[in-house]
Amino acid sequence: MRSLLRQPFLWFLCISGALFVADARTSSQPEAIVVSPAVRQRIALLWETQMGTSPSANELESLIAGWIEEEALYREAMRLGLDREDSIIRRRLVQKLNFIAESDPVAEPEDATLEAFYESNIADYTLPERLTFSQLTFGEEASALAALDALASGADADTLGESTMLNRTYSYRSALDLNSTFGLGFASQIDTTVLSSWQGPYKSSFGYHLIRLNSVEPEQATPFFAARDKVVRDYSQANKKSARQRYVENLLENTEIRIE
Amino acid sequence: MKRTTIASLANHFQHSRQFFLVAVVAAATALAGCSDQAAPEQQAATAETEIHSQAVNLATADAANADRNAYFGDLHVHTMYSFDAFIFGTTSSPDDAYEFAKGGTVVHPAGFDMTLNRPLDFYGVSDHAFYIGVLREMANPESEISKHEIAAGMTTLGDAADRGRKFYEIFDFMQTERAPEINDPEIRKSAWEDIKAAANRHNDPGNFTTFIAYEYTTSDRDQGNLHRNVIFRGDTAPELPFSRIDSQNPEDLWKWMDSNREQGIESLAIPHNSNGSNGSMFALVDWAGNPLDSAYSEQRMRNEPLVEITQVKGTSDTHPALSPNDEWSDFEIMKLRIASRLESKPNGSYIREAYLNGITLQDQQGFNPFKFGVIGSSDTHNATYAGDEDNYWSKVGLRDSDGVLRGSVPLDEPREGGEVYADTYFNQWGAAGLAAVWAEENTRDSIYDAFRRKETFGTTGPRMKVRFFAGYDLPELDDPNLVARAYANGVTMGGDLLAQSAESPEFIAWVARDAMSAPLQRVQIIKGWVQGGAAQERVIDVACSGGMAVDLATNRCPDNGASVDIGDCSISSNVGEAELKAKWRDPDFDPNQNAFYYVRALENPTCRWSTWDAVRAGVEPRADMATTIQERVWSSPIWITPAN
Repeated sequence: MRSLLRQPFLWFLCISGALFVADARTSSQPEAIVVSPAVRQRIALLWETQMGTSPSANELESLIAGWIEEEALYREAMRLGLDREDSIIRRRLVQKLNFIAESDPVAEPEDATLEAFYESNIADYTLPERLTFSQLTFGEEASALAALDALASGADADTLGESTMLNRTYSYRSALDLNSTFGLGFASQIDTTVLSSWQGPYKSSFGYHLIRLNSVEPEQATPFFAARDKVVRDYSQANKKSARQRYVENLLENTEIRIE
Repeated sequence: MKRTTIASLANHFQHSRQFFLVAVVAAATALAGCSDQAAPEQQAATAETEIHSQAVNLATADAANADRNAYFGDLHVHTMYSFDAFIFGTTSSPDDAYEFAKGGTVVHPAGFDMTLNRPLDFYGVSDHAFYIGVLREMANPESEISKHEIAAGMTTLGDAADRGRKFYEIFDFMQTERAPEINDPEIRKSAWEDIKAAANRHNDPGNFTTFIAYEYTTSDRDQGNLHRNVIFRGDTAPELPFSRIDSQNPEDLWKWMDSNREQGIESLAIPHNSNGSNGSMFALVDWAGNPLDSAYSEQRMRNEPLVEITQVKGTSDTHPALSPNDEWSDFEIMKLRIASRLESKPNGSYIREAYLNGITLQDQQGFNPFKFGVIGSSDTHNATYAGDEDNYWSKVGLRDSDGVLRGSVPLDEPREGGEVYADTYFNQWGAAGLAAVWAEENTRDSIYDAFRRKETFGTTGPRMKVRFFAGYDLPELDDPNLVARAYANGVTMGGDLLAQSAESPEFIAWVARDAMSAPLQRVQIIKGWVQGGAAQERVIDVACSGGMAVDLATNRCPDNGASVDIGDCSISSNVGEAELKAKWRDPDFDPNQNAFYYVRALENPTCRWSTWDAVRAGVEPRADMATTIQERVWSSPIWITPAN
């Protein structure tokens, strides 16, 4: 043994062998392309789903040859960095990551959580002020004014106004509803503090109107339990968004960004 | 709070679905005082909530109206679950679609916000049944289906052209015998479940109605369009929707609907884009090529009481070649078969001609397979209704999201050959339309019943209302109870009137403008009849704006002089009417003829969407397209049954 260690040729062999191994590990010598049973199975299965039958031995052989060629080309493309500035590949990878980032781990949130979300977004669950009223329609402003006088002296409203496709009474209408029915700017003319007496005339897309408010429902929040379904949906949407945002923020925190 | 108020509120709650009331009270005595009248639901509600000191009245609508209200909606809406919508970039869900219809905002795939200036009353998400949810799943790299060869590129869809290519790739694949390979039932079930659940979640009786729906997207052997939307009445529907992959033959769809009906699942189908059917939608032969018979007619009418008359992909009332004497027939004509550049032949493709063929068959063979009412809808593939000319985003996502892509604004650089506009057919599309019904209240049952009665009308977008009655003892036009009396003494749109004498029955055509759109220009009655075995049609103006009289020699109103400034799309003020109303008798009425009558009313001209695009882009409107349009409404017809 001792005499063997003194043999320079053996030293040469050992050292060169070690160098060879080190070189193989660090140089760009490609890793073997391995056609494992799993790979063969995947290739066969893909063929099967597309063609409806399993590939014959010949077909499988040529499929595998194709796969080997593709894998070699793919690896070479990656080695050359061809993926780096390719917008399609960028988009694909970002999309893959978004799928992961957005996957919401919270299945059904607790009611307390939902209620807190509801409270902090209460505007989304609030009904606007709504008016319940009678209205009379006139083609001319003068006839509306004359009717207003008649009403003041006790005339029956049912006998006044023209017959139009508008209703004579409307219940629980928001400003948006009113503008949709009578035309833009109509709602803002109505004095919501005056109940049970005729006011107007107010101009609309149809003519001139006298209005008598019967009730005004104030702006009101829908109680949590009645809004719950919507809260659940909104919460889950918001969560998805913030999960993605957190993910991105985390990434950015650990990345130096230089704007040159 | 006073006891009486609580009691009456509770009473409302018991008797009307219009109300969602939570009477919550502070004083125990008050609660005791009204508890005998309070509904159990209300008591439960009280128990669940904290005690507040006032009633919370969440009502937002009128109680039921025996004279019926007009409700406006869209029954043709695609979301991310439609194969093509997903390719076009749409990621909006059925939930998003319903939130949008209720007044919410949805972000277009191109990044801008889409919001309506006012909510709709009803909405039905109607995704394509075949491949429902599949394309979305293909874009999920973890899914099995993403490994299918046809899924290649699904995760990397880029610009409009790329998306167009992928659409045609899938569309072509769908027409091969390999189509079923990717029609994965598990994916489809999951998407369909979500669609049904979303519809049920957003249905809000009294305020907002949803329908479980889908599109049966079939075509004939030459790409003649035979698409239909299937609308379910209730809150349940079969496990999977019947699709073209089950059968391309619409008669098989009707069989499926018949068998569902036997099991208590009621539905109706609404054909659309007959304009792109190349003559097959209203063909006078069945799928097998045999002449139509009464069994075919009964089955078709049992399942298809309505047809979509207008939508983004054009209007299907009539065509200039079919109605040469109708000066308004050349309106939003879409010349191509659907999803192709092949011409669609007009014969057999338009509604008025189908009505005429229907009464001819009635006259000669005793059955009418084309006795349907009309609605409009949009066919949006962005989840968002697109019927407003000045708030238009078209309907195929990233493919037509701006003026350049839809051919209304010049390209940055002209194409080869010098053409300055994009090579597209999206410029032939229009901003339309709305489905409208006369119904007692805004609930599924009430609106669905209106569909079944055909008490429906369609508009190109504006919320114009049309009443139409026929009878022998109709009230005077200034009768304050006109509607109630006309219902009592006559028939309304969608109905049949038996000719009772040689005298013409009376017709009342009454139209109200949309308060947020242009005033009315004229109201017309369109008559079709069979004389000596041949069908005839006539367009008769019956009410003119400005108090002008119809010229009885020409049946036309004088020009009212309304104009549009296409520099800024402003319209002439003080021309046109808020309402037009006429009582009319047909001077040529013959009680022995099969006939139909329907109303068409026209607004004053306004800018077409393409002109709005041009104005906003600061360019001239395209010279080879209409710069203005006359928005319109069509009623369903009233049919006359001959006396003999």
